[in-house]
Amino acid sequence: MKTDGFSKLHPVTNFLFFLGVIGFGVVFQHPAYLAAGVVAAGIYYILLDGRKALKAIAAMLPLFLLVTVLNPLFNTRGANVLFSVFGRPYTLEALCYGAAVGGILVITLLWFGCYSRIMTEDKFTALFGQLAPSLSLLLVMVFRLVPNLIEKARQITGARHCIGLGGKQATKKEKLQNAMTVLMALTGWSLESGILTADSMRSRGYGTAKRSNFHLYRITRSDVLVLMFTGITAAVTLYSAFAGATGAKYTPTLSFAPVTPMLAAYCLYLLIPAIIHLKEVILCRIFISKI
Amino acid sequence: MPHLHIQNLTFTYPGSNIPALQDVNLTIRQGEYIALCGRSGSGKTTLLRHLKTVLTPHGTRTGQILFGDTPLELIPHNIQASKIGYVMQNPEDQIVTDKVWHELSFGLENIGFDRTAMRTRVAEMACYFGIQDWFHKDVSTLSGGQKQLLNLASVMAMQPEVLILDEPTSMLDPLAASDFLNTIRKINLELGTTIIITEHRLEDILHGADRVVVMEQGQVVVNDAPRAAGSALWQQKHPMFAAMPTPMQVFYRSGGQEDCPLTVREGRTWLNNLLPQGASIPSLPETPEEPSDEIALQLKELWFRYERDSSDVLRSASICVPTGSFHAIVGGNGAGKSTLLKAICGICKPYRGKVSVFGKSYGAHKAGELFRNCLAMLPQDPKSLFARDTVAEELQEVCKDDAQIAQMAALCKIDHLLNRHPYDLSGGEQQRTALAKVLLTNPRVLLLDEPTKGIDGFFKEILADILCKLKKQGATIVMVSHDVEFCAKYADRVSMFFDGQILATHTPRAFFGGNSFYTTSANRISRSIFRDAVTIDHLVQLVESNREAAQ
Repeated sequence: MKTDGFSKLHPVTNFLFFLGVIGFGVVFQHPAYLAAGVVAAGIYYILLDGRKALKAIAAMLPLFLLVTVLNPLFNTRGANVLFSVFGRPYTLEALCYGAAVGGILVITLLWFGCYSRIMTEDKFTALFGQLAPSLSLLLVMVFRLVPNLIEKARQITGARHCIGLGGKQATKKEKLQNAMTVLMALTGWSLESGILTADSMRSRGYGTAKRSNFHLYRITRSDVLVLMFTGITAAVTLYSAFAGATGAKYTPTLSFAPVTPMLAAYCLYLLIPAIIHLKEVILCRIFISKI
Repeated sequence: MPHLHIQNLTFTYPGSNIPALQDVNLTIRQGEYIALCGRSGSGKTTLLRHLKTVLTPHGTRTGQILFGDTPLELIPHNIQASKIGYVMQNPEDQIVTDKVWHELSFGLENIGFDRTAMRTRVAEMACYFGIQDWFHKDVSTLSGGQKQLLNLASVMAMQPEVLILDEPTSMLDPLAASDFLNTIRKINLELGTTIIITEHRLEDILHGADRVVVMEQGQVVVNDAPRAAGSALWQQKHPMFAAMPTPMQVFYRSGGQEDCPLTVREGRTWLNNLLPQGASIPSLPETPEEPSDEIALQLKELWFRYERDSSDVLRSASICVPTGSFHAIVGGNGAGKSTLLKAICGICKPYRGKVSVFGKSYGAHKAGELFRNCLAMLPQDPKSLFARDTVAEELQEVCKDDAQIAQMAALCKIDHLLNRHPYDLSGGEQQRTALAKVLLTNPRVLLLDEPTKGIDGFFKEILADILCKLKKQGATIVMVSHDVEFCAKYADRVSMFFDGQILATHTPRAFFGGNSFYTTSANRISRSIFRDAVTIDHLVQLVESNREAAQ
């Protein structure tokens, strides 16, 4: 994760990539495109998260199978009846369509998994801070608030435990009462800190002028290159989609558009982060070996 | 050239008859370093808040404040925001954003700085304050000292001409506090920023201050250079004299006349000149110990870590506290002292070792009985114990007996505050309210986690008084603290906590007398002449008995 090259790029580059990849992933139903999507997203997810990613992917498999198997129960269209369930036909085409839907679901889940690793909160606020400075500050403060509240609640329960309040063998009613008291204490304490934070904000000029927005990211040469590459491959993919290369019909009979060389452009597009990641890992090895 | 000019300022809070500030006149010149002191409730914070319009409290006011030669309220808020920096007491609550770099730029964003200029400014600040190493960190991972330094840097990023600090180090440990105060001194010397600071630790700032302003009931009673101010306080027999640096107190209390020493170095020179042949009586007689044979609290080889694969915080920590003694545990910041107390209370569960209270192991006490009439802890932050709307209701939460509550309120000197909201009290009063709540469970073993943090010298005396009374009633007290002077003065035994273990345990005199760095000012001043003089009282007594012996 620390060595991931793609996450070092500007938030705009990251965000546009994910926008495209999730957009395409949801729309394309052509089996070749689906397979490319699953493989590419899976590769990058594993590169980012290692063993944990494998576990997550293993958990997605039953989901995929479930969607695949369940779809023919609701969707009975299709020419090839395999058998019948409760007197309703269970068709091969519906089964394939179920697999396609499952694939789309898996692709989306995988990309969102990557997204949450790459687009951290500060990247998100850096990206949208310009548009709505106050809103982005609010978001930042909320991010801080939640762990703060948890820590305070822990301190309150700890302190109360040490004077014999909120014991373990209390009755249900007492437990509820105790929880209410902790909540009250937490509210009081948080309001009190809120007043201080407000003072600190006002004393540093909050609300006296139009806010600007600071972040540490800069558009570099590699951002420009990656953005251009993303743009070209996405444009080619889009063109091929309009030209019908991604056309797929599952019911009543399976019919897919023939695979064209345009698929290569889509694959390249999907592999951008993985390629950058691997490039960075290799470069790092080389640089470190020189030390 | 006067920088800030306070003229005949009188201020009364709404609903109060007594003015919080009364006819205050103060001229502060450009680049001056002013130490503002006074007991809590003397109007220090109220005065400081008047120096920045957005923070000025509501109420009736007469008189005026000039910044340069313009009345302060006529200066637009955004100019005030950058020209007058204000740092408050609580490091945690002042921080607004979640990342260090973002917090540094917060003020600049507010006044609409453009991004390229901000980048340079933030970089500059990070370098000057030594923040580079934790520049990218999450604010939540910082220590208290780092947080307060970040607050300072974030204010300094706006390049203020005046820097106002309201008890900035009261929540920090001594090491972090003295680092912080050194940084303030550096800002004053290198940038010429005017500094106005209120502080309990006068020892650390007085030698650098140009003037000391002492407040009492909303009035300025002393306004002079540090040495002259000390002399004035001594002559007035003013209670604030007890907050002055150790060398100064020893000097006047043992009959010194001319210019008093301010630092340990000057104190040593003075003492060496006073006794050029060395001391004929080098040490006070040993006070015999009266160890009790009953053991109140025993820890046997406790091991604890927070997570399975983190490192050990407690590494075979053992201690034995006899009944009726006041045991202090000192040690560095983040060493795990608070964790030790939490392990005794069962908030943290040690994975090895045994805790026994009055000879019974932890599990042998009946559930729910341990924290009734047996063991209780006062947490570091008294606010974590507050859950009700008035002090009286707080106390009723643990005890239903009104007579007992009244008695406890009198003992903790909060009987006049029973109808107030706990959050409206000062730091020392909150501490005592929390203590009263803890004491109402009738603990025979009382654990205290940094009880002197954030309270001034006057409240410390009251706290010590309460603790002495409890001890007389037979309670056992275990305290972890950074406050070396407090431990030296009141504890029966002192232990050093280091590397997850409890190392040396001695009487305060033997313990601090043997240390040369981790010790009290009194011992630092006198260690070449006297043996084991660790408090101001010891030192004054020794100087006097030596003087008598010489005659």
